[in-house]
Amino acid sequence: MRQSVRPHRVWSWLGIMAGLGWTAARVSVPAIAGAAINQINGHGGHSLAFWVMVLLLAGVFQAIFTGLRRYAAFRLALRVETDLRMRLVAHLERLHFAFHDEAQTGQLMANANSDIMQVQNVVLLIPLTIASTLTMGAVIVLLVLRSPGLALFALGALPLLQISATLFSRRMFPIGLAQQDALAAYSGVVEESITGVRVVKGFGSEARQVARLDVEAERVYERSIAAAKLRAWFLPLIDLLPAMGLVGILWFGGHQVLTGHLNDGDIVAANFYVLMLIWPLRMLGMLLGQIPRAVAAAGRIHDVLITEPRIANAAHPVALPADGPGELRFEAVRFGYRRSAHPVLDGLDLVIDGGEAVALVGATASGKSTVARLVPRFYDVDAGVIRIDGVDVRDADLHEVRRAVGIVFEDTFLFTQSVRENIAFADPEAPLERVRWAARLAGADQFISDLPDGYETLVGQHGYTLSGGQRQRIAIARAVLADPRVLILDDATSSVDPSKEHEIRAALGEVMQGRTTLIIAHRPATIALADRVVLLDGGRVVVSGTHDELLRTNAAYRAVLARAEVDEITGITELNATAGD
Amino acid sequence: MRGQGHWSELLPEETLSRDEAQRVLRRLWRMLKPYYRSIFVATVLVVLQAAALLGGPALVGYAINNGLPHKHFKGDVGVLDRSVVAYLVLAFAGFVLGRLVTMRIARIGEDYLRMLRATLFRHLMGLSMGFFEREQTGRLVSRMTSDIDALQELISQGLVLMVQNVLLFVGAVIVIFVLSWQLALGVIVIVPPVYFASRWFRRVSNEAYLAVRDRIAVNMSTLQESLEGIRVVQAFAREGEYTQKFHGTNEDQYQANLRTVKISARYFPAVEFTGVLGTAVILGFGGFLVHRNLILIGTVAAFVLYLNNLFEPIQQLSQFYNVVQSAGAALQKVFNLLDTHASVVERPGAFDLPSGSLGIDVDHVSFSYTTDGETVLHDVNLSIAPGERVALVGPTGAGKSTLAKLMARFYDPVEGTVRVGGCDLRDVMLSSLHRRLCVVPQEGYLFAGSLRENVRIGRVTATDADIERALHALGLYERFAAFPEGIDTEVREGGSRLSAGERQLVSLARAALADPDILVLDEATSNLDPGTEHAVERALETLMVGRTVVVVAHRLSTAARADRIAVIDDGGLAELGTHDELVHAGGRYAALYESWVTRR
Repeated sequence: MRQSVRPHRVWSWLGIMAGLGWTAARVSVPAIAGAAINQINGHGGHSLAFWVMVLLLAGVFQAIFTGLRRYAAFRLALRVETDLRMRLVAHLERLHFAFHDEAQTGQLMANANSDIMQVQNVVLLIPLTIASTLTMGAVIVLLVLRSPGLALFALGALPLLQISATLFSRRMFPIGLAQQDALAAYSGVVEESITGVRVVKGFGSEARQVARLDVEAERVYERSIAAAKLRAWFLPLIDLLPAMGLVGILWFGGHQVLTGHLNDGDIVAANFYVLMLIWPLRMLGMLLGQIPRAVAAAGRIHDVLITEPRIANAAHPVALPADGPGELRFEAVRFGYRRSAHPVLDGLDLVIDGGEAVALVGATASGKSTVARLVPRFYDVDAGVIRIDGVDVRDADLHEVRRAVGIVFEDTFLFTQSVRENIAFADPEAPLERVRWAARLAGADQFISDLPDGYETLVGQHGYTLSGGQRQRIAIARAVLADPRVLILDDATSSVDPSKEHEIRAALGEVMQGRTTLIIAHRPATIALADRVVLLDGGRVVVSGTHDELLRTNAAYRAVLARAEVDEITGITELNATAGD
Repeated sequence: MRGQGHWSELLPEETLSRDEAQRVLRRLWRMLKPYYRSIFVATVLVVLQAAALLGGPALVGYAINNGLPHKHFKGDVGVLDRSVVAYLVLAFAGFVLGRLVTMRIARIGEDYLRMLRATLFRHLMGLSMGFFEREQTGRLVSRMTSDIDALQELISQGLVLMVQNVLLFVGAVIVIFVLSWQLALGVIVIVPPVYFASRWFRRVSNEAYLAVRDRIAVNMSTLQESLEGIRVVQAFAREGEYTQKFHGTNEDQYQANLRTVKISARYFPAVEFTGVLGTAVILGFGGFLVHRNLILIGTVAAFVLYLNNLFEPIQQLSQFYNVVQSAGAALQKVFNLLDTHASVVERPGAFDLPSGSLGIDVDHVSFSYTTDGETVLHDVNLSIAPGERVALVGPTGAGKSTLAKLMARFYDPVEGTVRVGGCDLRDVMLSSLHRRLCVVPQEGYLFAGSLRENVRIGRVTATDADIERALHALGLYERFAAFPEGIDTEVREGGSRLSAGERQLVSLARAALADPDILVLDEATSNLDPGTEHAVERALETLMVGRTVVVVAHRLSTAARADRIAVIDDGGLAELGTHDELVHAGGRYAALYESWVTRR
């Protein structure tokens, strides 16, 4: 945190200076008011008009400084918040796949939002509290100088105010959390009942959901009442404690006036001071209560920031040979997603010539997709080497490797952008011609042109809803546009309607010209696109050959295909000439 | 699931017109009827508390005037001590009353919210399927969550303080006029500037905060998307650009925040200065009145103390305005939902379906989703015999799913009748229909809880033995018993996530448990994982035995296995017959079948 504040020292100092000025002006107001009362009461001194003018002058200073101090404090806190969030996000963008596999988006969002807000709150309160603390110190000194006894009676109860504010803030936190938990459970029931309404109503189980909701609503009620109970102590207390001070002043001060030791003005000034201290003390209490939370939040942010990207550039990256054919070489590759777990790949040896198209076939969990993920270095191998055109991927420049390898995943992610921007992802400057070319090769040009706004149609999470097959075709176009030397299609046509697939198949043939292609598929027709088929089992290559060869000679291959072959007869939709998939 | 898309759903705050606000308030007041007594007690308590709080400064003034010496008065220690004791009593009374008020109002408010949550949910669950097909899930969820939360905020934070502040302000004004109307007139001049400044601040800062909220939403959804798409971003080596993009939205958020700071950096100095100005007026004018012997010095002192009670309420109330506004808007949305009525209702005197096997008759049925909308089905006739299995096939949008929905009475036909077991569905008790007819949706939806509890949804009253029997009947028991904690495994927690195929198996098990006479199946369009494909098919076959089945088929193989096939096209029945009949007839179905066979 210190690191985040340092570049903004100017504002911290300005804030503190303004705070000092504000304190001085503020503390003088009751003193002036007291003097004025004494003057009214006939104790002489300067004229009343003089005191009124001085008072107004103090008011002007107080106003100027309070504006400055707030501005400086908030500006500093917001700057720290913004910079910290930027650092966190820039770091997240660089972190390796394995990190993102483990982390939940919601958690990371909370780090970037609520956790950073917690830190911001404390950064904000610190300068404000420094000024408040100064005010308190000044008030104590002034009152003690006037009358130590009066100071004791006026301020004696006030530390309790700060203590109870701290306690309240600390106690409230777990109650607030419990309240949020209850609300989350409650909205969980609401959400599943509405999302799953077909099931609920289909089986007539509304009563069950209603009963569950009643339980959760009751819990919300109980927790809210618990919070109210706490508030019902604290809120009246912050009225009571200052009132104790005022009562003390009236009693002690009154007797002192009767014996001639003090004047009425002193009583008024003391009253004024007590009222003035209510807010600073509450704020100090709140700050003290918040610090543990902010520390915890800062800790969570810190944990992310100290996670080193596991996949990093080599110190002296070796360039991939220019215009290399895209030869892929797996040498004794071993890899597991977790160190402790059984490796997914174990002793994988495979050479794919430049320009060759190879289909990886294997049962579920045979490691096909893992092979695909190791090539662009989403993960590093545990043992062995993967080479592209002879260069160990770990020795090459990371960005160069990733630009050389184009991968299309089964679950395609599209950004909330236009279709054109999604396809031109690798090269946002690409002219529309080129985007259309890529779309054509992916068999996507036709349906994209039919979309409401054609290539400018907004898609993705908050955009136009596309079918799975359409999304996959856009993803293929996205990879094609990047013009990689190695293209990997990881089940990339699985959601495409088989009746449409032949359209892509022809185009894919063209795409595959002149690049190395790795295809992972279940459908025999897609597998047939490859020059060669490699059967994986238990994390290594079992057999390799053409589709027909293996079909004839290899029982294991036939078994895998048979298991994968589901009767996908979505052909009925062909009755409909216009439907997408 | 919550939070998905949540950031971008934040829209500009709707504001209520005066008329709407009044209507919402009147309705709220009517709904609060059970709490009238409690509200009355709370009101009395809150008035007493305000009186206790306001009594203090008056006592100080009284003590100074009548207990302490001035000009020709020596002072009276008795008056002083009595005032001190009275103040002490008032302070403690204020504390006790404050506790009582806070608790009383919290109980009323929270109880009302609990009632509102339960009522709204019951209402929602009672609405027809058609309603849910039209409405977006997210919007309905936010009616039940964020809209009610807005009210909760008002109740837990705002309401007590709001009422107190109003009373304190009004009380303070009354008290100062009683103490000295001349000085009160002098002081009251500072109220309008504070009021107008606060109003300005509320308006401007409200706009600024909405902008901040908007910027946060944009910034967070940028982040959310780049995190969810991180694999694509990294695969295409575009981290730099995305970091840059976030930098832009992040700075926008900062700027929007800074604007709110600039606004408050103008408002707060003005208010603080006005406070000092008020003190100056009291002292200057008050001193003048003291010299004229119109008031005593204690009164001036009391005024200085009351100044606070004039200022704080105005400032605080202007802040509450926003909370109240958004609570009002939220409440209106909740009320609107409560006013939506189920389109499919049970007729008075509705009866149970006859026992025994049930057939379905679709008799001259026409249907459109909206009154003036396109006709989805026109004049469809189809008779399904008890125990028969009929497949509905046809292009997307032809109306086959709609036909199935009419058979399950998700909607009522616009013209014609749907009869089940010879009874017009509109005359049948809904509970009876639900017991006898089950719709098994395409995708098995899972609820939080164990596998067992998920299956139990099929029939809430089923015993554990019933559930196990249903699983055994479909040949699924071993499969699920092999899960880490058997059929008590929590299905939505990480690690034991079910595949699409397994979810569908759960869905079939529910249907087996429900044991209906009619099954309406919507076949999944997407491919299941090869591992569960066969299990799903086997379970389905078992489930269909001895029941009347209507299946919306997406696969020819499914259609081919049905007793009869109905080809629906363009809202009408195009072909009807057995597989062999249709293949021989040489129509669309035949053409389709042919292309399928050759492709294989």
